[in-house]
Amino acid sequence: MSSADGGDDRGRIVVVGAGMAAVRLVEGLVARGLGSRVTVLGKEHHAPYNRILLSAVLEGTHSARALTLRDPAWFAERGVDLRLGVRVVRIDREQRRVDLVDDLGEESSLDWERLVLATGLIPKLPPIRGIVDAHGNLHPKVHAFRTLADCRDLSAVLPDARRAVVVGGGLLGLQVARALAGRGLETEIVEGAEHLMARQLSAPGGAALARDLRRLGTSVYTGARAVRLIDEGLVLDNGFVLSADLVVLTAGGRPAMALARDAGLTIRRGVVVDDRLASVDDAGIHAIGDCAEFVDGQGQGRPTGFVAPAWEQAELLAEILAGEPRTYAGSRSVARLRATELDVAVLGEPEEATSAPGTEVVEVSNPLAGTYRKLVVRHGVIVAATLVGDLSHVGLITQHYDRGTRLGDDEPGALLLPPRPTTPLQLHDSSEICSCAGVTVGEVRACTSLEQVVETTRATTGCGGCREAVCSLLEQRTTTSEAHAI
Amino acid sequence: MTQPGTAPPRTRSTTGSPTGTATHCPYCSLQCGMRLERVGRTLNVAPWAEFPVNEGALCRKGLTATGLRGHRERLTTPLVRDTTTGEFRATSWDEALDLIASRIDTLQAESGADTIAVFGGGGLTNEKAYALGKFTRTVLRSSQIDYNGRWCMSSAAAASNKAFGLDRGLPFPLVDIETADVVVLVGSNMAETMPPAARHLDRLREAGGQLVVIDPRRTPTAERADLALQPVPGTDLALALGVLHHLLAVGAVDEDYLAERTTGFEGVRLSVAAWWPERVERVTGVSADDVRRLADLLAAHPKAMILTARGAEQHAQGTDTVLAWINVALALGLPGRPGAGYGCLTGQGNGQGGREHGQKADQLPGYRSIDDPVARAHVAEVWGVTPESIPGKGRSAYELLEALGTDEGSRALLVFGSNIVVSAPNAELITQRLEALDLLVVADIVLSETAALADVVLPVTQWAEETGTMTNLEGRVILRQRAVTPPEGVRSDLDVIAGLATRLGSELVFPTDPETVFAELGRASAGGAADYSGITYDRIRDERGVFWPCPATPDDAEPHPGTPRLFADSFGTPDGRARCQVVEHRGPAEPTDSDYPLHLTTGRVLAQYQSGAQTRRIKDLPDTGAFVEMHPLVALRLGIEDGNLVTLSTRRGELRAPARVVTTIREDTVFVPFHWVGVNRLVNDALDPSSRMPEFKVCAAALRVGGHR
Repeated sequence: MSSADGGDDRGRIVVVGAGMAAVRLVEGLVARGLGSRVTVLGKEHHAPYNRILLSAVLEGTHSARALTLRDPAWFAERGVDLRLGVRVVRIDREQRRVDLVDDLGEESSLDWERLVLATGLIPKLPPIRGIVDAHGNLHPKVHAFRTLADCRDLSAVLPDARRAVVVGGGLLGLQVARALAGRGLETEIVEGAEHLMARQLSAPGGAALARDLRRLGTSVYTGARAVRLIDEGLVLDNGFVLSADLVVLTAGGRPAMALARDAGLTIRRGVVVDDRLASVDDAGIHAIGDCAEFVDGQGQGRPTGFVAPAWEQAELLAEILAGEPRTYAGSRSVARLRATELDVAVLGEPEEATSAPGTEVVEVSNPLAGTYRKLVVRHGVIVAATLVGDLSHVGLITQHYDRGTRLGDDEPGALLLPPRPTTPLQLHDSSEICSCAGVTVGEVRACTSLEQVVETTRATTGCGGCREAVCSLLEQRTTTSEAHAI
Repeated sequence: MTQPGTAPPRTRSTTGSPTGTATHCPYCSLQCGMRLERVGRTLNVAPWAEFPVNEGALCRKGLTATGLRGHRERLTTPLVRDTTTGEFRATSWDEALDLIASRIDTLQAESGADTIAVFGGGGLTNEKAYALGKFTRTVLRSSQIDYNGRWCMSSAAAASNKAFGLDRGLPFPLVDIETADVVVLVGSNMAETMPPAARHLDRLREAGGQLVVIDPRRTPTAERADLALQPVPGTDLALALGVLHHLLAVGAVDEDYLAERTTGFEGVRLSVAAWWPERVERVTGVSADDVRRLADLLAAHPKAMILTARGAEQHAQGTDTVLAWINVALALGLPGRPGAGYGCLTGQGNGQGGREHGQKADQLPGYRSIDDPVARAHVAEVWGVTPESIPGKGRSAYELLEALGTDEGSRALLVFGSNIVVSAPNAELITQRLEALDLLVVADIVLSETAALADVVLPVTQWAEETGTMTNLEGRVILRQRAVTPPEGVRSDLDVIAGLATRLGSELVFPTDPETVFAELGRASAGGAADYSGITYDRIRDERGVFWPCPATPDDAEPHPGTPRLFADSFGTPDGRARCQVVEHRGPAEPTDSDYPLHLTTGRVLAQYQSGAQTRRIKDLPDTGAFVEMHPLVALRLGIEDGNLVTLSTRRGELRAPARVVTTIREDTVFVPFHWVGVNRLVNDALDPSSRMPEFKVCAAALRVGGHR
């Protein structure tokens, strides 16, 4: 074996997980000619798919068929060993080996030179009595929402359901709630924090969002915990009982890091990795995506929780595994709610950034319209932003944020204001009205009819775009002369 | 493959005009029909209402096109640079051509055939482009020939060839726009760059159709749009992926069409699963709702047309960008459906014909590949040479120029119909390469910026003084007719080529009569994709142009009617199916950063054309000089007021020009028209891997107020 950090290892690269980060990593490895060294181990049976679109599938606005990112044939054609429906039970760091078990309980093991953990999140099970039976199975009314299988199971029972309660008012919860409402269910949201999307939004942002949801017919219970599931419905700690045919759990997830923990790797809120995206304990083991926690030089770190940073990590890791001298320095994240008629974008960590020294906040709040927008600016650069209820300029704000554009003092404010109505143009005799023929307003005003304009100036005969303006000039001329006549 | 047009009329009509000479505008690919009327010594432009593309409409460039006649800068005698003084002196044609021939002989004896390179243009007639290719391959025996079309629509050409097995800018007549439900213009500012074409857009809208314009600037074209999207420059590809993603999400693709008429869609289907609208929003700056709006609009209308132009194509990922939009068109089953499809709005006057007849490094006449043994044998027979004597593929335009005067590159360059110093990317470097040559010969009508660097300048005839065919953006072969006698002392490019061939000892025939050259071109093109063999000057006059392919038919058979509409039943690929290709968004070759925080994009203004060698010399056309267009917020940020002198810099150079502050441009982008020297010093020379198109349309730039001229 050559150096653990070198790119010329000929041994296997084993990727644990076949989610969005894993697929992007494999694409990068294939592009670098390393496909035949790669084994991908996926727990789910479905070919890798785009998980973030599941709520749209639930809503019926996105075809389930159009979720697949890469089919098994794609992997096979590139020499990648894709194994679906297998679970890794143990990492053996001594032997550089993983132990596997498939659906039938068949055990096997696999050697690796480099191991990549891309195991993602495990949905959190909130402490609600009655949602799990003695055997650890979910109550028939209760559904998780993480995988395509979850989505299919939930979709299958929708026709028989009338009322749904979504437990968890984060990004996913809101998307699921809107999807269920879109399918005609009466939907309510329960969120334990004081406002919705508590991880991303401040209180006014969350309040604007709750207002928007109520306008759309969805009740929101914040600062309330579901404590018990009984036949009559879901009991909240404030005494409410929400009757429900369905309960969907979207209370977030925790990084799947049991394998790493058991292997003795350092974990915090995720598997701790350095700027080579390698475990701080074992340079041959990497972690990317939701299960990884990148800790920077200052010891600061957090798992990203979004797909864009996971992909950045995956692309970078492919380069690192190919021996390219690259380092990771963190990612910018943009959380964009994908829910019909609900507009939310959160750039970076607005709440954390707001309290950081040297930052200024430019904000516009309109409770009447249910909008709340704020830009957090440091030295002229947008370092974070919250946009609720009004996404005008979202594209430009995101560009400025991603590129770190240094803005002028008036720009953040202008980004939050509606576009000014354009004042009607003053038409002077010297202004050009027909650029095709190079004709001025004065030349048109000198004419009495469109025919004369065409004949003497050729205005309107090129692209025809000035026809309306020319006609209205001629009309004004008529009205003025009539006025004079009177 | 083809859907025949109406049979040509049997009776011979007049030339379509009551008086004067029916001809076409000297500028862009629209090739507007016009009549030239002589009144005493002056030549007037009059409408030719019967020509269907422009129906008599003209823009001010066309209206003033006769202004170059008798211009005081018009060259009428060959110029040779005096080796002692370094100045030009007038000389005779014989002396000039003898000198060039002897220099070519010497250089080739020292350094081989490829040491002579030839550079053509998309404004040359088909006859000239053909003769130039033949001359280079048979007399010079050099592989080093290419042309400025590489800087025009070559990305669309490469994409069309890959996807459809055939490249004709528009596979339908332009007037079909009026019959569509939705027209999407990707990176086209039609209303300013080819104004008379915009009337078709107006009629589309009058008939209830909708117009979508995609451009970082809200141009006069976008002002007419029902939906105008302003993406970050260089992200049109990602936008197309997002549109296709949404079409698949809502099940709006035409699965039957994909199954019957295409291959490769399964890979494309999977590849766009990762391009959901919110991700596209982050990359393109176009809101997710607008991405969906566009896709929904396309999904809701069977007759949709997607037309790309330079804004989408002039990128290092230009070919892939066009392929991504073609995938959208194929997914909707558009190509081949009446009133629908994909097309490219070609730019240069003969941008279409110029790429079909052999002035391109990899091509032989008839849009044949120079690597194809059958094509080589056919063309060799028409030329009267052996197939082996025809050289192989040469360098593409930018690479050819970049190598000039280096150990690997050519030592001499003959330029016809191109003003390289202004139009090439990274123009400073290219100017240095031209200066390093042993011999630079430029044939032009005025002393252009490029001619000014030459060792020998040859004064040639111009539009209205000569006859020849052009192929417009629709693939319609049209005839520019001579209306006046050229001034004393000038010769046509065909004469120049023939004169050099004779002096270089060639025994091949190089006719100087355009109609004779056209007949030979027809024979050389016979059986190729762009088959002109059934087209004659008389047919063009009678039928107001003939669409290729138009193969010759036996004498006793009905003539082929030409092919206004392509792809009705099959495509130009060997199996007749279109190829869907997986493409990925890579983004601009030069992203913005803290030193160069703005995107720079370039384009044209109405009153000027290309390098301005013609239009700047016409006094009725305003010559504003370059300007830097920017959003008020950018101006405010940098303390710039409208009209201030500003300095725009990139990693390659600087430009000083007045600021033009407008609300119609993106807040992160500046625009400069490219007609003036200095602009193309700024732009990036990163090349598209397939088309070798440079990235004219986006690079990173910095802006500051002030600057000294």
